[in-house]
Amino acid sequence: MIFSRSFRSRALASVFLAVQAVAAGAAAAPAGAGEAPRTPQFFNPAISAIVDLYYHYDDAEEGIAHLAGELSGFGHGHGHEGRDHAGVESGLNLRHLELQFSADVDPYFKGLAIAAVDLHGAEMEAAEITTTAMPAGFKLRGGKFYSDFGYLNARHAHQWDFTDQPLIHQWTLGVHGLNDRGVQLSWLAPAPLYLLAGAEAFQGSQENLFAHVGHGPLPAHKGPRVAIGWLKAGPDLPGGHGLLGGVAVGTGKHQEEHDGDGDGEHDHWLDGVGEFLSADLVYKYNSPRPYGQNDFTVQVEYFRRRKDLKLVAHDGAPELVGGRRVDTQDGYYAQVVHGFLPRWRAGLRWEQAGLTNEVRYPSDDLESFGSSRRLSAMVDFTPSEFSRLRLQANRGMYQTDEGREEITEIRIQWMISLGAHGAHRF
Amino acid sequence: MNRFALLAASLLLAGAGAGADADRLKIVTTTSDLADIAARIAGEEAEVRSVCRGTEDPHFLQARPSTILMARDADLWIRVGMELEIGWEPPVLEGSRNGRIQPGRLGHLDASSAVIKRDVPGGPVSRAGGDVHPSGNPHYWLDPYNARVVAEAMAERIIALRPAVEEAVRGNLERFRRELDGRMFGADLVAEVGGDRLWGASLEGTLEAWLEERDAAARLGGWSLAMAPLRGAKVVTYHKSWTYLLERFGLEVPIELEPKPGIPATAGHLAAVAELMRREGVTIILQEPFYSRKAAERLAKQVEARVVVAAGSVGGTPEATDYMRVIDLVVEALAEL
Repeated sequence: MIFSRSFRSRALASVFLAVQAVAAGAAAAPAGAGEAPRTPQFFNPAISAIVDLYYHYDDAEEGIAHLAGELSGFGHGHGHEGRDHAGVESGLNLRHLELQFSADVDPYFKGLAIAAVDLHGAEMEAAEITTTAMPAGFKLRGGKFYSDFGYLNARHAHQWDFTDQPLIHQWTLGVHGLNDRGVQLSWLAPAPLYLLAGAEAFQGSQENLFAHVGHGPLPAHKGPRVAIGWLKAGPDLPGGHGLLGGVAVGTGKHQEEHDGDGDGEHDHWLDGVGEFLSADLVYKYNSPRPYGQNDFTVQVEYFRRRKDLKLVAHDGAPELVGGRRVDTQDGYYAQVVHGFLPRWRAGLRWEQAGLTNEVRYPSDDLESFGSSRRLSAMVDFTPSEFSRLRLQANRGMYQTDEGREEITEIRIQWMISLGAHGAHRF
Repeated sequence: MNRFALLAASLLLAGAGAGADADRLKIVTTTSDLADIAARIAGEEAEVRSVCRGTEDPHFLQARPSTILMARDADLWIRVGMELEIGWEPPVLEGSRNGRIQPGRLGHLDASSAVIKRDVPGGPVSRAGGDVHPSGNPHYWLDPYNARVVAEAMAERIIALRPAVEEAVRGNLERFRRELDGRMFGADLVAEVGGDRLWGASLEGTLEAWLEERDAAARLGGWSLAMAPLRGAKVVTYHKSWTYLLERFGLEVPIELEPKPGIPATAGHLAAVAELMRREGVTIILQEPFYSRKAAERLAKQVEARVVVAAGSVGGTPEATDYMRVIDLVVEALAEL
């Protein structure tokens, strides 16, 4: 096993063993099967792996990853103590290897499992069951999956048109977006336009907006603790035109624990609700020309979050206990991508985060902060359905606790997809 | 809340209203050629729509909300198959939540199931060879014989779904076959010996001998007569999409402008194509209108060839109004009629 030296986790090794076993089964099958050599393979799940390498440069004094803790109004303030996944290093970065398995289970269900493997181990990115035979346009889904609110949240990093997430999503939900254990019921209406409605219940272990600590001074809440509803609608446009709009709301329990004096121990605790509201609009023109030439996409998304928390304990200032802390932040991005030559695309993205950016403290003081903005430009080349190269430049003006900071970033991305041919939804 | 209830109620009513003419079969095909043939076979008994327009390259289609609506309402979904639609069909079928048209169901017809397939890889396939289709070249509809096979499969499936329309559909199929056979071999010859026997000889590659034996060679007409002078000629195409048509009439395609399937023409490859065209005396470059003509026109100048731009699908050009016109037009252009 050439992998065992560089990859530490046992979980990872077992993932690879599973892949090898499946692959070996597929490879061994033709030899013994004679007349129908490929038959045993038909029931194997479709397997694919995404390798996503990128070079990162930025001119920030302490590196762009450092910025996250200093953003006014968006600073890290949650109970999650794990390693920082957003940590982008100057130089070469490898996004987690995405190992994907999918298949029809039986006439009633289909399954999807995605393991995200990085240099430190493996994580369950998705493990889900979907119904395939419910009547009247209904579909039930359960497991661990990405919420279908908005446009970008349910899309994986390799499907994005830019190498990075929009600021507002990155700062309010984190790099994993809204991905949790849950169930989803959705309904495609028998209407003359495309109308899809969905309701989701999640356990509530999203680290940034729907976190749950449940011990110490913080009460334990029963799950599922998060409810999300969304509606997507698109007219029946002729030709190569496609338009889809969506609105979503979400609400759930949220808890935070903080280390106010920086001594390494938590000293105050908050409990309350996290809420969000989102709206998105996507227009795509699918040109008749081959190799994506003249294809055109416009994509806009707005996201607003509110955290309404009560201080349940404070070691340093017990008199504040019972006071409310309310965070309200929003932002949007707007992007266009155009296939200017066969296999070549260019895109521009403009975003603002913190148009509303205020915090009401337990002391009842209200503080407002300014907004950050960023302009990004990218060019990518898609040699085939299974590979892509991209150059991207970002110029951002960020509102930090120490004033405005301007940072330029350059990224060069190189990614491939092994295995099953993916299909693109709208 | 009341407004929501009203909205929901009106949507449900709209849905129920749409179901009122449920007796008429709703057929959705992935390409315009399948739609044209399906409309001929189903006649008055069905409403037929196509996802892909003839002006579009079916490889590079994207799923759209309107595509999902078409799939949602379909009673019969007909696809080309052989992985042609692999990039967009799965999310459409899944998104449609229409159990009737899922693969394996009666309402899902893979039109490639009975056709003659070409370029089926003999050994292991690798994507180093470009956009290789493991089940073979999916552009089979341009072989008129395959259109006949597809029409028969459609008729069987429509009858299985709506037994009451059997008589009408069989009549439509018979008319379609007679017309197609007539265009292929000449109506007089078909009337005299029957289409099935002519196709039999054509599939065996012994049509000429078979006709001479019966002293009927002079009565050969249609596309076969028009293409006869080109038998054995070589034609260069942009994509590997004309093989079925050209090989049916005894022509060869020694090389494509695409260096590998799905990879656009490059300067280095075009130099090799020019060299081959000179060496083998190739004088025709054939391509669909949606590909750039620059490469073909440059080559044509270099080696004194002519560029034939023809629709490979119904609707690919304004004149290509139905399947048989598609074949008419390319035959006329190749044979310089």
